Amino acid sequence: MGRRFLDALGVAGVLAALVLFLHQTAAGQAPAPKPTEPAAAAKPAEKGPVPKTAWGHPDLQGIWLDEFDTPLERPRRYADKEFFTDEERTAQDKERSGNIGRNERAEVGSRQDVAGAYNAVFTSAKPTGRRTSLVVDPPNGRLPPLTTQMQERNRLDREFRLALLQNTDTCKNKMNGCAGGKYGPPSPKLNEEPPSYNTQRMNRHDGPEDQSMGDRCMLGAEPDYTGFRRIVQGQDIIAFGIDTGQGQGFQRVVYLSGSHPPANVRLRFGDSRGHFEGDTLIVETTNFSPNFPIRGAAENLKIVERITRLNAKTLEYAITMTDPTVWTAPWTTKQELTMQSDTENRIYYEPRCHEGNYGLPSLLVGARVDDRNFKEGKGPNPASQDTASCLLNPENPQ
Amino acid sequence: MRRVLTAVIAAAAGAAIATSVSCGSSQSSQPPTQSGRPARTADGKPNFNGVWQALNEANWDLQAHDARPGMVTQKGVYDYEYARVPAAPVVALGAAAGVPASLGVVQGDGQIPYKPEAAAIKQQNGENWIDRDPELKCYLPGTPRAMYMPYPFAIVQGTDKIHMTFAFSNAGRVIHLNKVEGPPDDTYMGHSVGHWENDTLVVEVTNFNGKNWFDRAGNFHSDALKLVERYSPISPDAIRYEVTIDDPKTFTKPWTIAMPLYRRLEANATVLDYPCIEFSEEFMYGQLRKQQLVKHWESETMNIDITRKVPPGDRLHEWYRR
Repeated sequence: MGRRFLDALGVAGVLAALVLFLHQTAAGQAPAPKPTEPAAAAKPAEKGPVPKTAWGHPDLQGIWLDEFDTPLERPRRYADKEFFTDEERTAQDKERSGNIGRNERAEVGSRQDVAGAYNAVFTSAKPTGRRTSLVVDPPNGRLPPLTTQMQERNRLDREFRLALLQNTDTCKNKMNGCAGGKYGPPSPKLNEEPPSYNTQRMNRHDGPEDQSMGDRCMLGAEPDYTGFRRIVQGQDIIAFGIDTGQGQGFQRVVYLSGSHPPANVRLRFGDSRGHFEGDTLIVETTNFSPNFPIRGAAENLKIVERITRLNAKTLEYAITMTDPTVWTAPWTTKQELTMQSDTENRIYYEPRCHEGNYGLPSLLVGARVDDRNFKEGKGPNPASQDTASCLLNPENPQ
Repeated sequence: MRRVLTAVIAAAAGAAIATSVSCGSSQSSQPPTQSGRPARTADGKPNFNGVWQALNEANWDLQAHDARPGMVTQKGVYDYEYARVPAAPVVALGAAAGVPASLGVVQGDGQIPYKPEAAAIKQQNGENWIDRDPELKCYLPGTPRAMYMPYPFAIVQGTDKIHMTFAFSNAGRVIHLNKVEGPPDDTYMGHSVGHWENDTLVVEVTNFNGKNWFDRAGNFHSDALKLVERYSPISPDAIRYEVTIDDPKTFTKPWTIAMPLYRRLEANATVLDYPCIEFSEEFMYGQLRKQQLVKHWESETMNIDITRKVPPGDRLHEWYRR
């Protein structure tokens, strides 16, 4: 009975984390979108009359979302092709709608089955967009090569995570979660600090820091490619409300005056200073916190956003990421965001993940019970149990 | 004749005052604030854009109170309320962990009209502050508490929305100036709908989940809470913030708090982070670590052993202990 309850608790934690995991990876994996009819918003956005505020700035206010499913990086087969034709999009939507993907179940009642309990029903899939990738620069639509320093950091990170998994069935059975690793006895790394500040789930649960940012309700990060849950614009100060990751949304303030704080002052979403050039709001954000790295970039990261109201319904949103310690060149994404109805989206998605985070303490309690049971000879060595990879296929754990 | 003259002068003076208070949609005719901002927005409203903060002790206790030697105290050698001493959780912090005195922000007789059963809960809340106050867990602070916590917040005054971003936990609020229906579920920060009455922004706040407190003294409310906030400019750099609190499940009648909010006039005033979700992890989950980080504290003058007590009724922890 106790064991069953433990499993239930563990499952609750895993499920909570899985939802986040799926949310993060949905853009790349989501099956079954409905074939889209080429809507007006799907056509190239044309420059139209731009509404202005009473004080003469382009009016950026409203709810602006990316209505299309576009991968961050362009599949290599499309090379320098930036846009799909309407026919290609229809074909892609048809293909994806035929992919049952996560609706497939593993053996009923198995851990794999439970780990995959959030099937495609729980994750919305958007229609294929015009763009073949969010990345528009470099022109091949792919992130620039990582610096040697960052490659080494990633290598050490992956090595550490695989070491923590090496005594599990995931490695024994050569499942995807162990790709690059091999089966072996419990690793001494189980008692070591990770090689860099951890933001992802690992196969060890000694404390909150071993969990992913999502497990800890700190997933929200800039940049967020879903769009703006709300822009409210004042004369010299602008607020962005972002909704992301199941209650892990956040608020940003962009000051149209002043300057970045001293270098030792660090903010989770950075310090944003903006100005208008014509119809474009240009926002420069620096002073990012080392506790919230974005693809490994943090203290040396500079983000420049260019937000342009193209017409009544469309906002063009370009983001340039620069961090010479992580990428060998800056890279830029571009999206066309569509204005959403204020009435139909009147619910304020209050970011209250932390307030209801039973998953994290449940997960830690479960881990302590596993430790105790192992010590008393009543259970397996926790190092031999995979509680990290969700038994799915994390292609890229970092 | 003299009476007529007096009346004319009075009328002229009145007109001048009226002009200075309610007109002046043209920015150029307005003296700038000390922060360099125009006193009014382009559409003629008081300009609340910028960074603000309350400067009072309301987050300690809305009601008038004397200074206390510690955030948590215990009975001293004399059995007087005024002879209590700091208790273990704060004794190591010495005079830095006391509570400052306050004249209080509750209007009228300064009393909060609790129903008898609610007054008993308030008393227990105060006695169990560390275990019960949602602030210590970094939960969303709720309204109105977010407005007078000791952290800055930004007001962004848009065309049909006003947005607030609070340093504490990156909490946010949207005040809808257009009619917007409330959400289908309850919230921590409430659903805010506002309108202007001359120069006063009046905001009705509803749809609370009843999980917030008003202060660290244990003053609380239920999910029946309804607020009417009134934001009136005292000067371009100060707002009189008044809130009428109505909650028939908890109070016998509506009551009102009021205080100034001050513009942060420093050059480059910015809402910096108080990222308290991560700050509260040791407090909330420290006892679930494989290796306890905090169990004993030692300084030049004292040694303290830390005992983590599981709150009674915490099913998760009770199950783990068995």
